[in-house]
Amino acid sequence: MVRSQWNRRKFTSTLGLGFAAALASWPRRSSAAAAGTITVLNWQGYGTDLAAGLRQFKAATGIDVKHDYYNSEPEMLTKLRTNPGAYDVVLVNSARDAQAQVEGLIEPIDLAKVANAAGLAPAFGTHPNILIDGKTYGVPWVWGMNALAVRTGKGLQVDSYAALANPAFAGRGAVFDDAVTAVAIAALMTGQGINNPSDMKKIGDTLKSFKKDVKLIWSSEDEWNKAFAADAFDVSVFWSGAVTRAVNLRRQPVAFVIPKEGAVGWLDNLCIPASSTKKDAALQFIDFMVDPKFYAEWAKVGAPASANNATMEALPADDLNKQIHKPEYLSKLQFMGALPDDRRQAFADVWEEVKAYYAQS
Amino acid sequence: MTALGRGFLALVLLFLYAPIAVMVLMGFNASDLYALPFSPTLHWFSELAGNDRLIAATRNSVLVALVTAGAATVLGTMAALALSRRSFRGKPLLRLLLLPPIAIPWLITGTAMLVFFFWTGIGRGLHAMILGHVALAIPYVVLVVGTGLAALRADLEEVAMSLGSTPLHVFWAVTLPLLAPSLIAAALFAFAVSLDQFVVSYFLAAPGVATLPVEIYSAIRKGFTPEINAVSTILLGASVGLFLVFAALTRIGTVERR
Amino acid sequence: MLLPAYGWLLVSVFLPLGAMLVFSFLKTNPFGSKAPLVFTTNNYLAFVTRPYLVGVAWTSLRLGFWTTGICAAVGLPAALAIARATRGRVRQTVFLLTILPFWTNGLVRVFSWTMLLRQGGILDDLVHLAAPGAASAGLLYSFPAVVIGLVHAYLPYMILTCYLAVASIDDALIDAARSLGARLPTVFATVVLPLALPGLVSGSILIFVPVIGSFMEPRILGGRIGVTMGTVIEDQFTQAYNWPLGSALSFSMLGVVLAIFAACSGVLRERLAA
Repeated sequence: MVRSQWNRRKFTSTLGLGFAAALASWPRRSSAAAAGTITVLNWQGYGTDLAAGLRQFKAATGIDVKHDYYNSEPEMLTKLRTNPGAYDVVLVNSARDAQAQVEGLIEPIDLAKVANAAGLAPAFGTHPNILIDGKTYGVPWVWGMNALAVRTGKGLQVDSYAALANPAFAGRGAVFDDAVTAVAIAALMTGQGINNPSDMKKIGDTLKSFKKDVKLIWSSEDEWNKAFAADAFDVSVFWSGAVTRAVNLRRQPVAFVIPKEGAVGWLDNLCIPASSTKKDAALQFIDFMVDPKFYAEWAKVGAPASANNATMEALPADDLNKQIHKPEYLSKLQFMGALPDDRRQAFADVWEEVKAYYAQS
Repeated sequence: MTALGRGFLALVLLFLYAPIAVMVLMGFNASDLYALPFSPTLHWFSELAGNDRLIAATRNSVLVALVTAGAATVLGTMAALALSRRSFRGKPLLRLLLLPPIAIPWLITGTAMLVFFFWTGIGRGLHAMILGHVALAIPYVVLVVGTGLAALRADLEEVAMSLGSTPLHVFWAVTLPLLAPSLIAAALFAFAVSLDQFVVSYFLAAPGVATLPVEIYSAIRKGFTPEINAVSTILLGASVGLFLVFAALTRIGTVERR
Repeated sequence: MLLPAYGWLLVSVFLPLGAMLVFSFLKTNPFGSKAPLVFTTNNYLAFVTRPYLVGVAWTSLRLGFWTTGICAAVGLPAALAIARATRGRVRQTVFLLTILPFWTNGLVRVFSWTMLLRQGGILDDLVHLAAPGAASAGLLYSFPAVVIGLVHAYLPYMILTCYLAVASIDDALIDAARSLGARLPTVFATVVLPLALPGLVSGSILIFVPVIGSFMEPRILGGRIGVTMGTVIEDQFTQAYNWPLGSALSFSMLGVVLAIFAACSGVLRERLAA
């Protein structure tokens, strides 16, 4: 963080407020980070901050790990831009790698230096999201699918996203409040590519046809879980990994369904900010994160699917994560890819308009 | 009439406290999905003891709110006095300028502050949050104290002046005591505005230095556990205690009938 | 006297907002891209190029009017009741109880409302206890649910500001009016209301403005219905990452708010300039 003493002093003395000056000297642990500490930027509760893992990492390397969290991908980018040097490892949805790379926010990584990356699923190690201009910009970590979650025990038959437009589910549906996912699902339904659909009008109309069914537009897994537990809806767009957590940890009657139109795939990777001053320690941490041993620890509390083949193979056959995230899907899924700004904006605009349409009485 | 009024007040309070009762109860409920039926537990309170982040965030919140209440009340009262007791050009404009901090969504103000503070080197952290919170609280203070001043009889001050008191003395001896309920209300407002302020804090929080609302918002993604209810309950209990002490020392709400 | 407060506002609000105002005329986000800045007024034409926003704005205004109206209709009588039907320790207690809800986190309160309002929720259960045959009903994810949440969040503001205005009404004034034969409604309209007006006005400002910018309550309590200017603007900042459009929409909203206040300025001028 840039801290200009002079500016602040001048500013406070101009106002003549003694207590503000007193606060300027407030102890700030964050700025006086010790050499053996790295800072990770991630979603909260998304693996890297697992207490058991951090203890093992500290024991093995002597490095302390601190966290800062983001609540949206744009916020992650903003934090990288406005806090140069503050972060050493950042979790990035690989669809955002290109954007971060163009802005010079992340560094190329030599996968050879990450011992545990040897087991990576081949489809991921060379994924076009990550491999930019012949250089690798992130270590693939976990992946998942966005498709449908359907309540079990009610005898519901769902094999298509069209269920969300089916009058039989009037007021019993939910969708994810995310423009990219919404557009992708409508693209799958209308036979278009999810990253560059040619007919946006059709996308909008398809999404609008969900209106009668949509009860809730959820924006976090927690919100989904609470509404589902309260029986607010039966069919919802949802994440594969979240379904395994809902079943394993919360005993919810729900099944993950990949409809005949297919599913939306995504891949999260761990990157090193270009402004990091502790890149070696950062690499050590990333290597630890892709280690199957750590994944086993994380899986106890509900991890998404690992991008590491060795890790997934080590899971017991009846593991729900393994059952849902079948390796053969990898070639069939359409993965979220890099989006140019104007297309991202077009997606956001169509989703905003659809939501406004949903809200009309 | 009195019975009717009290009955009405009871209804209003029932409305105000229904969700708060739910909040408190759920802090003692075992289900982490807030599911019923109710099964009592103290689990979430004991979890809380080990949750350093939540405890540190609560401490930060209270600290920022206290400083904000003090600063905003002093600055806002000065402005309110000037605005109501003097006439000068540009007064309507100055009144209008109080609106943006409350009229512009906090989201905008928050991002604007983030960008500006970053650019000027003020940076993020508790000091930045206080800068922001005080600015947001000042208009509330001016409005509340201004309302109190409007209801105050200016003739009392004039009488005192005509009896030869200095303006400063009039302020200390006449205006301030009469204004006390408004001042206390304004300080409470400012405290509450700061304590519940999420958006601006969210943008101005430095990594690792959060306030309670920021921590709660982050928790939504991870899972909003009844620990949040537990800490809210404790905070509520502490406020009630504080209020009782405070009420014993002063007599807020009991404006003397003249 | 004015300098400290306005100096503070200048540094923490007006200068940052000035920067935002510049933003609202930009074509793309100024961060990250090294391309030269391109200025445009297109963002202010959003209501023309995106006609659906008119409906969204209307929803926000309806929320504002309903919430402010209900707060006034409940808050003023409540303030009068505190001032006239209580005294001493009871009044003190009621007064404190009125502002105590502020001390709890807004998000937690809204969240508690979802538990009360949902189908099969606590209110639903209570209705069934009282009338066992009644159909199960949930208010959650509807316009009234959002209004309830907002009224709950802002009612204390109205009670406080009205109380401060009516607390000083002289008993003698009302007694005099009554003894002259005025009936209660007349007393209310001719004595109480004019004196309470400053409180009503400042309360309404404190409520109306944040309500039409609110996004948390509509989002959590409104479900599919909960699309307001607040949520659209929030989306521009957090999801679509179109800060210029988000800023332009907020300044447009500010314009609407000011226009509404200007329309009511007769009352404002008369009362607030006092």
